[in-house]
Amino acid sequence: MTADTFPKLLDRNARERGPRPAIREKYLGIWQTFSWSETRAEVETIAHGLAASGVQRGDRIAIVGDNRPNLYWSIVAAQALGAIPVPVYQDSVASELAYVLQHAEVSFAVSEDQEQIDKLLEVQETTPALKTLVYCDPRGMREYEQDFIHSLDEIKQAGEKHRAANAGFYDAEVARGQGSDTAIFLYTSGTTGNPKGVVLTYGNLISMAEMSVELERITEDEDTLAYLPMAWVGDCVFSIGQSYVAGFCSNCPESQQTFLTDLKEIGPTYFFAPPRIFENILTSVNVRMQDAGRTKRRLFHYFMAHAKKVGVKILQREKVGAGDRFKYWLGELFVYGPLKNTLGMSRVRRVYTAGEAIGPDIFDFYRSIGLNMKQLYGQTEASVFVTLQPDNEVYADTVGKACPGVEVKVDPDSREVLYRSDGVFKEYYKNEEETRKTKTEDGWVHTGDAGFIDHNGHLKIIDRAKDVGVLNNGSMFAPKYLENKLKFFPFIQEAVTFGGGRDHAAAMISIDIDAVGNWAERNNVSYASYRELAAKPAVYEEIRRNIEQVNADLAEDPELAGAQIARFALLHKELDADDGELTRTRKVRRKFINERYDNLIEALYGSQSEVHCEVETTFEDGRKGVSAADIAIMDAKLTGGAPLAKAG
Amino acid sequence: MKHAERTFGDTLLKVDNITLRFGGVKAITDVSFEIREKQIFAIIGPNGAGKTSMLNVINGFYHPQEGTITYKGNPRHQMKPHEAAETGIARTFQNVALFRGMSTLDNVMTGRLLKMSGPSMRYYHNKLANMPVINYLTYPAMWFGDFLLDSLYWGPYQKEEVAHRKAAEEVIDFLEIQSIRRTPVGRLPYGLQKRVELGRALAMEPDLLLLDEPMAGMNLEEKEDMCRFVIDVNDEFGTTIALIEHDMGVVMDISDHVVVLNYGRKISEGTPAVVQADQDVIDAYLGVAHEEDLIET
Repeated sequence: MTADTFPKLLDRNARERGPRPAIREKYLGIWQTFSWSETRAEVETIAHGLAASGVQRGDRIAIVGDNRPNLYWSIVAAQALGAIPVPVYQDSVASELAYVLQHAEVSFAVSEDQEQIDKLLEVQETTPALKTLVYCDPRGMREYEQDFIHSLDEIKQAGEKHRAANAGFYDAEVARGQGSDTAIFLYTSGTTGNPKGVVLTYGNLISMAEMSVELERITEDEDTLAYLPMAWVGDCVFSIGQSYVAGFCSNCPESQQTFLTDLKEIGPTYFFAPPRIFENILTSVNVRMQDAGRTKRRLFHYFMAHAKKVGVKILQREKVGAGDRFKYWLGELFVYGPLKNTLGMSRVRRVYTAGEAIGPDIFDFYRSIGLNMKQLYGQTEASVFVTLQPDNEVYADTVGKACPGVEVKVDPDSREVLYRSDGVFKEYYKNEEETRKTKTEDGWVHTGDAGFIDHNGHLKIIDRAKDVGVLNNGSMFAPKYLENKLKFFPFIQEAVTFGGGRDHAAAMISIDIDAVGNWAERNNVSYASYRELAAKPAVYEEIRRNIEQVNADLAEDPELAGAQIARFALLHKELDADDGELTRTRKVRRKFINERYDNLIEALYGSQSEVHCEVETTFEDGRKGVSAADIAIMDAKLTGGAPLAKAG
Repeated sequence: MKHAERTFGDTLLKVDNITLRFGGVKAITDVSFEIREKQIFAIIGPNGAGKTSMLNVINGFYHPQEGTITYKGNPRHQMKPHEAAETGIARTFQNVALFRGMSTLDNVMTGRLLKMSGPSMRYYHNKLANMPVINYLTYPAMWFGDFLLDSLYWGPYQKEEVAHRKAAEEVIDFLEIQSIRRTPVGRLPYGLQKRVELGRALAMEPDLLLLDEPMAGMNLEEKEDMCRFVIDVNDEFGTTIALIEHDMGVVMDISDHVVVLNYGRKISEGTPAVVQADQDVIDAYLGVAHEEDLIET
């Protein structure tokens, strides 16, 4: 029997590497390890329990919560029965949850705790198909008397009984599964419109997991931290796909707040994070170094300067003089080594980042201290992998070469990137129209991203194809390209730029409260709130300098020189997913922002220096309020001889 | 949140005709009430009404001149603090009283002191007194047996330490303070310090938990969290809770039974709804012009 489904791979792992660790969870301050054979036993029990609760082949089962072994086991247990797991983002509000559960016709939900159960109960009022709710953590659940709510322990007990009465049931069910069966529904966060349910088969996920395991020489000795949302394709491929294929151990952090401590304790050998997390880590390192003693600070800056000079070269095995090597070795001893240890990266062999462009400074920082950080480009529809940077061919501004078995091409007219591989999704669930629009008859998938292949054969992504516009002066306007350049400055958390069909480019910026707050403290700028800090003229000055730097960079590129940012404003609040301004993966929702801030945007193209802005905000508990402020608008200097051709 | 009908057990603590004087000042005059098992019991009143004094009487810090305290069916004239602690009364303080230089975990572990024996206990005692471990040498009588056993990594004391650590970790998990486990509490914001203090009290596995203004100085979100924890403690462990609180919203929301003190006297008692409607209570809080006051001045 070839192992073409996850339950079959689990059987194989339990047989071949039974006592080795499969998954860990930090509970009561201690890492609790479960071996492959224990994992298989748990999955079997849960599968029996689900069957005893009436789960049938083809049923959809929602999985709601943080990364927990019980939830991973529930996913595989559902798959063993031929049911389809539908993991959902654990921080989504009830209305977002309701859409996904209704669309997927979910009848059964396994959730982490009371908080999720409360949301599911709210959803259930409008989702009659949702019949049974299960929770893992009994805390606070004592007074829920509904007979359709069960604890996972009850399910497991029912499973024990069911197993005693139906010997051989689990094995028979697992054997019925095939590689071409649907493995999972993953809902994409959707920058526009409602989320789409991407249907992935075992074949999709396992082929891509096998390819990446072989390509990156991933072994059963790896340790990873399973901390990214379970509803995200990356977690599915890394924490289940690769872990089951290669047989390595995933580690579930204690809570979202303890992520950095857990990272340090586990010391993963293989680590994936979106650029935002690397940014946050670097920001906190810099902030803490500013507070450190003078000797430490000088040592840090001295050796970091040296790392900047030769670190990347040493990593890429280029020629470096013996003196510089010795100095780098000293640096490793005094600074880089301890720093990597504090960050939990001393064992790491590969670091990946994807999802957004990463700032060159951030990228070089990690590479210069000896971390092999690489970029990849992927999509839910591709089971993650499209392109990946090979070792020693790493650049900050590309996403690498096509992975083995993946074909990539760029449409010459629209500049849109297309790909084809074994990982390509089956369909969007109940959405034939979108499926046909995205996936051509011969299997090419439209990514919706504009890009080109550079002289090294690397793919370079510039923006969403539909967002690339033209300014009235004829120059190309790629908003995300500008925004990424802006966001690489530590003071800028989010930026939204405008310019398609306009006379000039303009930017709306939300500041990074940690970085700017720290700066304010050191410069005796007093403030009481985010809003007050963002309105300070001194902060405007700092941001203006950043923008003029971007303008200077743009001036060097003839195609983009006309898209320099002429005016900008600092928002009085952070852009927030709860307000619908960002997606859950923190991508800007342009259309929504255009409507929401229309008077601010008009002011960016008018001549006034201040505008009153009022927007509705949603608090974490779902209540709403209004956030209002007078926002100043400032001009920025443009670089270069080509002045903007002002129309009219 | 709370069930409409809550059932309580027998009387856990009964105070009868307590009078407490400091010199010529009467802090508490002839106050009686009883707290029943599993109750959330609130003592309210304006500033200086004698609320904290009452808690101090219950856990034996103050000794009343008159009256009796019956705890777990055992009447006595006055409690002694160590008796109170040994028989399952834990408390938190109006001003946070933690060991500021110690981590959250160590603070919670000190709550286990009474349940510890042998070297684990001495280790934490030493830690509290900032004594070097070399002070073991000053216990010559215990030196031979304990020191030898203690210096081994394995043995009965390791088992004991592990069991106490597990209990402390369960409290940490319950209060969701894992992320500050190793942080010195002096560096924590006030709201979290209050939570750690509750954690230390919970680590004693008390039968009666006295909370002295658990929500004082907190913002709305911290208050909501704290309310949740108080209700959860009561619900999960069946702990009887007596609390003093100024925030009337909180008191009316979470308590089962309220006693109102004013100038050291009990002026009203009953369910939150009863107390809220009591004219004496309203007068005490809003102030009323007393005739005799007018004559005197």
